[in-house]
Amino acid sequence: MPFGLSKRATVWIAGLIVAVNGFFPAVWILLTSLKTETELIRSPITYLPEAATLDNYATAFTAQPILRFMWNSFVVASLSTALCVLVSALAAYALTRLRMPHRNLIMSVLLAVAMFPLISLMVPLFKVMRELGLLNTYLALILPYAVLSMPVCTLVMASFFQDIPPDLEAAAMVDGCSRVGALFRVIIPLSAPGVFTAAILAFVNAWDEFLLALTMMNRVNMRTLSVGITLYQGEFAFPWPLISAALIIAIVPICILIAVFQERVVGGLTQGGVKG
Amino acid sequence: MRRDLSERTLGILLLAPAALLLAVIVVYPIATLFVNSLYGVDNANPAAGEQFVGLKNYATAFGDERFWDSTLHTVLYILVTVPASLVVGLGLALLANMPFRVKWPVRLGLLLPWALPLVFAGLIFRWFFEYKTGVVNDVLMRLGLEPLPWLSDPNLAFAAICIAIVWKSSSFMALMLLAGLQTIPRSLYEAAEVDGATKWQQFVEITLPMLRPAIFVALIFRTITAIQTFDIPYAMTGGGPGDSTETLAMYIHKTTLDFLDFGYGSALAALMFVLSMAATSGYLKYTRRSSGRSGED
Repeated sequence: MPFGLSKRATVWIAGLIVAVNGFFPAVWILLTSLKTETELIRSPITYLPEAATLDNYATAFTAQPILRFMWNSFVVASLSTALCVLVSALAAYALTRLRMPHRNLIMSVLLAVAMFPLISLMVPLFKVMRELGLLNTYLALILPYAVLSMPVCTLVMASFFQDIPPDLEAAAMVDGCSRVGALFRVIIPLSAPGVFTAAILAFVNAWDEFLLALTMMNRVNMRTLSVGITLYQGEFAFPWPLISAALIIAIVPICILIAVFQERVVGGLTQGGVKG
Repeated sequence: MRRDLSERTLGILLLAPAALLLAVIVVYPIATLFVNSLYGVDNANPAAGEQFVGLKNYATAFGDERFWDSTLHTVLYILVTVPASLVVGLGLALLANMPFRVKWPVRLGLLLPWALPLVFAGLIFRWFFEYKTGVVNDVLMRLGLEPLPWLSDPNLAFAAICIAIVWKSSSFMALMLLAGLQTIPRSLYEAAEVDGATKWQQFVEITLPMLRPAIFVALIFRTITAIQTFDIPYAMTGGGPGDSTETLAMYIHKTTLDFLDFGYGSALAALMFVLSMAATSGYLKYTRRSSGRSGED
């Protein structure tokens, strides 16, 4: 082992480095959120809050409609996830379990089109949404977010669909199921982990998106969480304890989601990479 | 009779929703992007509205210093952050590949940076790099060094933004590379150990070659996202000081939504499209060539 460390110590240090690298920003803003403005500007700076206070959290709820932002993010993320999973499941089924001509080509075209750079898309999409009168409506984000996650959802579900033995589907059809019936009654229930993984990935993608959310929603009460957090800063002043408290409130839901489903998320994220 | 549908017809029906969504959200807007880029408002006669101006917007772009500057910044972000997050990501992946008895702290340590919205990472790193109250300068002073004006000096602001981008993107890289590492059979390392290979030789001769496909996919993903760099500089500096950290994506956003110049914004977005296509097709060509080469030996 390097530096004469025992194997156990090396493993411990390696784990510590990865965990600290991932957690230190969150820990630092958690500490900041408990400080007062006066403690913040002291020099040298303090690491642990001297007189921990929850005032910043109370202010975070009143200074901006953060619960409204969260609701907007939740509506947009869940509806776009539902749409994305449905559309991708149908496409993945057609591309894996039907004898279609040129399926690899169709798959590549679907993926290539959906990976179009978002910023180039943003300009014309803004115009289209304005003409349709959809600016400041949930639909203006739900539709693009569904497309945004379509490649990864299709790939993840396709790899699960592939592993289901054809006999099971055939048996369902002998029992009087139509093909589409077999999809919904046999294939999707049997690939539940895959469908679920795809859904989590789509949800996180939509929850995190910033550029389109900034562009399509300019009314404060239609802002999503990722854009809403930036409203806590003043023109010139950055009230860091308040911003930190708002950030902590905003990341709690997503932290719970990834903590509960961590193995699924890792599996889904790496699937595309390993298969590609 | 649904069961009489041929597989082909059914396939087309099942692909139709995806195709429709792509047509409305991607294909149609992109078509209008190229048309819009040929229109512009005449400043001398704004009442006339948008007029057909041909390729004038593109000519303007080629003479526009801010376009070239923001393109240069974007290319610099790509050149710095893509290799840097590959190296950091590979390091994290190797560390995370150790035989841990408790796996969740490491797994969450890699997942949290990925799940955090980019703009949040930008805000948090802005806070780290604050001149008087930031933790980075505090550490520098404790080490006996001078505090640095991270966000008000163009070069330092660029460096600070790169650090934030690398932190945010390296853990996703690590997750992809980790999946690649776990497919390498243990027996290869055992055989190398029997032959007396050092750890470093094992890394160079076994790990890196076996990891090449995973590295490639990770690099393509990272490059595609690096071209669109927007959120982190937006949150950290807003493109400043001056326009010194502004990316092409930020300039397009400003042109379209703040200056409301749709024709010019569309032309810039079309140029960006060409840039990103060139980058990805370059990668694909290289992949094809290198896979051809590995097929020979």
